[in-house]
Amino acid sequence: MQTIELKNVCKSYDQFVAVNNLSFSIAQGGVFGLLGPNGAGKTSTIRMMIGITVPDSGQINLFGKPFERKSLNKVGYLPEERGLYKKMKIIEQLIFLGELHGMSAGDAREKAIQWAKRLEIDAWLQKKVEELSKGMQQKIQFIAALLHDPDFIIMDEPFFGLDPVNATLLKDVMLDLKKQGKTILFSTHRMDQVEKLCDSICLINKGNAVLQGDLKTIKSGYGKSNVQIEYEGNGDFLEKNPLVGAYNNYGNYVEVRLAPGADAQQLLQMVAARSRVNKFELMEPSLEEIFINTVGKSNA
Amino acid sequence: MHNIFIIAKREYLERVRSRSFVIMTFFIPALMLGVTVLPTMLMQRGSNETKHMVVVAVDRETAEMIRSRIEQKQDQQGSADNQPSSKRGLPPTHFSVDVSTNAAPADREALTQKVNQKQLDGFLWATPDAIAARKLDFVTNDTSSFIENGILGQTVSDALRRHALKAKGLQESDIDAALRPVEVEPVSPKGKNAPDPQKMFIATLAMVMVMYMTVLLYGINVMRSILEEKTSRIMEVMLSIATSKEMMAGKILGVGAVGLTQVGIWAAASAAFAGYAVVASGMLKQVKAAMNPMLLIYFVVFFLLGYVLYSTLCAAVGSMVNSEQEAQQMQFLVMMPMILAVIFITNIFTHPNSSIAVFGSLFPFTAPLVMFSRIAMQAGDTPGWQIGLSIALMLATIYGMVWLCGRIYRVGILMYGKKPNLPEIMKWIKYA
Repeated sequence: MQTIELKNVCKSYDQFVAVNNLSFSIAQGGVFGLLGPNGAGKTSTIRMMIGITVPDSGQINLFGKPFERKSLNKVGYLPEERGLYKKMKIIEQLIFLGELHGMSAGDAREKAIQWAKRLEIDAWLQKKVEELSKGMQQKIQFIAALLHDPDFIIMDEPFFGLDPVNATLLKDVMLDLKKQGKTILFSTHRMDQVEKLCDSICLINKGNAVLQGDLKTIKSGYGKSNVQIEYEGNGDFLEKNPLVGAYNNYGNYVEVRLAPGADAQQLLQMVAARSRVNKFELMEPSLEEIFINTVGKSNA
Repeated sequence: MHNIFIIAKREYLERVRSRSFVIMTFFIPALMLGVTVLPTMLMQRGSNETKHMVVVAVDRETAEMIRSRIEQKQDQQGSADNQPSSKRGLPPTHFSVDVSTNAAPADREALTQKVNQKQLDGFLWATPDAIAARKLDFVTNDTSSFIENGILGQTVSDALRRHALKAKGLQESDIDAALRPVEVEPVSPKGKNAPDPQKMFIATLAMVMVMYMTVLLYGINVMRSILEEKTSRIMEVMLSIATSKEMMAGKILGVGAVGLTQVGIWAAASAAFAGYAVVASGMLKQVKAAMNPMLLIYFVVFFLLGYVLYSTLCAAVGSMVNSEQEAQQMQFLVMMPMILAVIFITNIFTHPNSSIAVFGSLFPFTAPLVMFSRIAMQAGDTPGWQIGLSIALMLATIYGMVWLCGRIYRVGILMYGKKPNLPEIMKWIKYA
């Protein structure tokens, strides 16, 4: 069953087209990445999926049925704009949100404590939101989205503002949820984090889908056209080299995209001739590179 | 409905538990106590002193007459001294009065000197010239105690009138009978006693004050609460669970219930003090006359409707503005219809069936005050259909406002930061 299905969805505000003829679907148990630069229409798309706004045209099916508010009890949403009632105690806030999702107060309290223990924040449940750090608030928001055991979880920039330890903690939770058969949608412009989690993606730019499908298929479509090189010494081979299509210098290593038809062995010889090579690896392009490339092309 | 209840419950509990609610609940009655009871007590204390005055007239008879009237007045008041109030609600001042027939300019000079040196509290210069001019000088250091001096003026007029009648040879009892005041009571052709505009004015004023205060305090709270939601940015989470209409209704109900709770506490706590103040001010009769159970029910109905209506109006404003400052600027606009209603209220008292009164009692934002005034003034003659229509229109407006500001609110979140102008707000309302 498709958890969510968008068919030719359009939405514009005044003259501004936020989402243009967008179609995609996520099968139950799938982890989906809704990717795109800032202002691409990711949040607009999500808002239509959960009924905050209504599409101008097109069709949205949630859990196999045309959208209805009742279905929202099975949806968990972590918005990009984080917000909690600042003066309210954490535990009361979570119970309140749980009750709105149709839980009983007792059930909500129990689940909230369970989740808080798991996210190592149970000591703060009696505090007010304003006493918490940003990262802690983020965890509370995370709990709020998962408290009612939703089947479909929407996370808008879930790792934004988290330190690596907490980001890993949350990532593990997400992987766990995936194992339980939950459907998860990530919306982000941070490709590196999503790459490890997603099965399929939709890359949108200026409201249009520019690339979508199974992540592995997409990446293999690009072939092993990239080289990662770690070297010590002269790096001037990167400039004005007919073998190099483009490159990204990350300081400790460079990632080079070969020019069409270029031979990787030729490049290796060239680099080895002028510097000491510690690593030379042929690989598929990273999602980030595909992203920059595709968005760059569609902007041109 | 379930969501509205949960949201209202949260708003209510959060506010009632807050420190500011507790402080306000106790502070305001304390303030009211201070304003109503303390001055009365002070006035009574201040009046316990005895003032010494001299009445100067050429003939002893006139002077004695004035003295006896002042002392008699004092006795009337003195007899009611054990109760906290006199007939007019004014403090009894004790004068010990001496008379003098030395009315030469030099005597006046001497008495003035005495007043200056505070050996004397004042003297009344009742020479024939002054009496003929109907203008007597009362030389005193307390020129500003207008209440006292007013009573003195009435008493002296009374004395001179009696003196003149006595000079015509009338008996004391005839004079008393002739000078007894007369009360005129308006009666409608149907035989009903028409309510006294003064009484109705007091009742309506009470309504205006209670409503104005609660709306000001809690309507503004509704506005703030919506603004808070906008700035805390929680509404995106909320909107993924509840509709904007549910949120609005929940907020208005929750915050509104807090206001009613507080007003209820105040009403109970201040009933004793208010009762005391009414008795002390001698208006007991007026207030008792205005108390009519049907009217009281109308008071509650129109107060509740007005309160909810203005709360929704505040909610609409709260959903349009982006900051506290902007909200404050808008407060005046919100209060405008109420102020207008108050301006026209005397007109409505005198002509409760005029077209402006009918319009005002049907127009939802002035209806609570105007319709209530009409019902109070007409003592059951207001057409039932007009009362029904007025209530129906208010209910419809409340529903419409909740729907409207729900929309503004929902679209408002999609583009906060920018101050919307009217065409933009119109567009927001149209957005699905």
